[in-house]
Amino acid sequence: MSGVFLEGIVKRYGAVEVVHGIDLEIQPQEFVVLVGPSGCGKSTTLRMIAGLEEISDGTLRIGERVMNRVAPKDRDVAMVFQNYALYPHLNVAENMAFGLRIRKTPKAEIATTIEETARILGLTEYLERRPADLSGGQRQRVAMGRAIVRHPDVFLFDEPLSNLDAKLRTQMRAEIKRLHKRLGVTSVYVTHDQVEAMTLADRIVVMADGRIEQIGTPMELFNNPANVFVASFIGSPPMNQFEATLEDSDAGPIAHANGTLIQLHGQEALRGSAGRDVIIGIRPEHVMLNAEPGTASIPIELDLIETLGSEALLHTHVGRETFVAKVETHGEIGHLHGVNALHVKPERVKVFDKETGQAIGQVA
Amino acid sequence: MASVNKTSSAGTETVVPKMTLAKRMDRIQMHLRREWQLYVMLAPTIIWFVVFLYKPMYGLQIAFKDYSIFRGVADSPWVGFEHFANLFSNDQFIRAVKNTISISALNLLFGFPAPIILALMFNEVLNKTYRKTSQTIVYLPHFISSVIIAGIVVTAFSPTAGIVNTVLGWFGIDSIYFLTRPEWFRPIFIGTGIWQEAGFGSIVFLAAIAGVSPSLYESAVVDGASRWQMIWKITIPCIMPTILIMLIIRIGNIMEVSFELIILLYQPATYSTADVVNTFIYRQGLQSGQYDMAAAAGLFNAVVAFVLVMTANTLSRRFSRTSLW
Repeated sequence: MSGVFLEGIVKRYGAVEVVHGIDLEIQPQEFVVLVGPSGCGKSTTLRMIAGLEEISDGTLRIGERVMNRVAPKDRDVAMVFQNYALYPHLNVAENMAFGLRIRKTPKAEIATTIEETARILGLTEYLERRPADLSGGQRQRVAMGRAIVRHPDVFLFDEPLSNLDAKLRTQMRAEIKRLHKRLGVTSVYVTHDQVEAMTLADRIVVMADGRIEQIGTPMELFNNPANVFVASFIGSPPMNQFEATLEDSDAGPIAHANGTLIQLHGQEALRGSAGRDVIIGIRPEHVMLNAEPGTASIPIELDLIETLGSEALLHTHVGRETFVAKVETHGEIGHLHGVNALHVKPERVKVFDKETGQAIGQVA
Repeated sequence: MASVNKTSSAGTETVVPKMTLAKRMDRIQMHLRREWQLYVMLAPTIIWFVVFLYKPMYGLQIAFKDYSIFRGVADSPWVGFEHFANLFSNDQFIRAVKNTISISALNLLFGFPAPIILALMFNEVLNKTYRKTSQTIVYLPHFISSVIIAGIVVTAFSPTAGIVNTVLGWFGIDSIYFLTRPEWFRPIFIGTGIWQEAGFGSIVFLAAIAGVSPSLYESAVVDGASRWQMIWKITIPCIMPTILIMLIIRIGNIMEVSFELIILLYQPATYSTADVVNTFIYRQGLQSGQYDMAAAAGLFNAVVAFVLVMTANTLSRRFSRTSLW
């Protein structure tokens, strides 16, 4: 298996630059997810890797080979498209065999490969059916089957689950993860759904406005967002953010937000930054109902409780700002109605520079 | 309430309530009240069909009568199938039927694929300006009157000043009076038809091609397909339903060979290959005043066309899941 290496990749449409010099190293057998809002350049980047879009500047390598001028068919990549791109006039077996036939693979070999792949994907009984006679999930599996039979060096997935309903998406997510484990093919996966990114990726690349905002493992991104964009994009519900001013105290730095003081013990890097305007970020999942030694206490006004079953979302106000907390219910929510303060460990509190939006202070 | 019994695939009987007439009328009234604007918009088309296509059917009965314009349709005496018997013993009619079938078959063979090929070619042209210009050029002849088209053809094939004979002359070939030679009528007629209609006919196929998802091509590109393979393995199969629908319509019109152009191009010297059922009807009905015989020939034409379109539709539905109805 080969790695995929992007060095200063730029994409321009006429005078408009949409991808601004991306550097990214995807190691062999790695599953990397490009995630970001619509128009951030993630699909364009994937299409440049596939060879469907010309690279305006920079170097793309797959393995050791520079691919900028190499035709898509010679890049040894297989792509799964958002709308599956199944040929409506061909049945499942013919769809899966299409790429192999084009490459003049011997018939016996095609038959064996199709049979084996269909077995892996649970498509054996549907081989004679046309795409119109299949469900969304089955079509998605055929699209993946068509990519798998090629035994490519790199799999490219362009939002392959976005046309499926929530339940099927969860199911297919697990299947893709299982397949990657089994086949070990280097995979680049594009999605705008951060849950998909978190569950599938070995590493996530968060993109915005044609630039990479942060690269890291799902937990790195969740725990240590590099900036306010990543902090708000990764995680559901998103990280609570509110403006504050730093102050120094004997016990350590303190963030002063709308009359609320939040202790930042242990974040020694912030010492000496008194008067600096910052944005405080606290993940809803990091909020506790009960105080523990050393936790910062945040007085709140409870607005609404959303029950999710084992968990509940507390919609509250901290001063003028909305603040959401995700807490465990233990089967009942009666005790949540009287909550008037929430608690958070100081090391869980993220601090971002108000001007640049970049993370500052201690990284937990 | 009335009901009907139905046996399901599992073999158990289920009772499906049958709608009473009153309930059905209620439903229709409610539907009309809600959608009356649509029916108002549909009305002109229905009226046109009734006035110009259904009402004249009353006159079809003269095909079975000894029709006299003085007695009128109703009072002319019945003669049964006499006109049909006469028609089938008339060499000119038999020749016209054979010519119609020959010309239509050749037209289907060469004229039907022409717009498809043209649409595929336009689709492959990447330069927008070049494509639009060439599209406009090939669409134009459709908007020219058949009289002018015939004039252009007559001039082009003229033995004295025609461009074709001029070019032949450069190669030392003697002038040929093409339009008086029976063996040349069909190629000229079919070629003219293609020149006049292929461009305009390609619009519907271009629209069908535009409907093919670009991701099918992208997927094929990644799989390694060439442009030629994409045409054969993606574009043509994807527009096949449109091709079949157009083919069914074309087969339905197989007996309707372009009457105007034939009248304008043929002459007694080329009757042996150019005289078709419609021109025969025109000569018999209007020029010789044998309206009953012409009506019989017209009815025969319509019945054949009806049978052909039904057959084509059934075959298409059975083999390709595509049909007009």
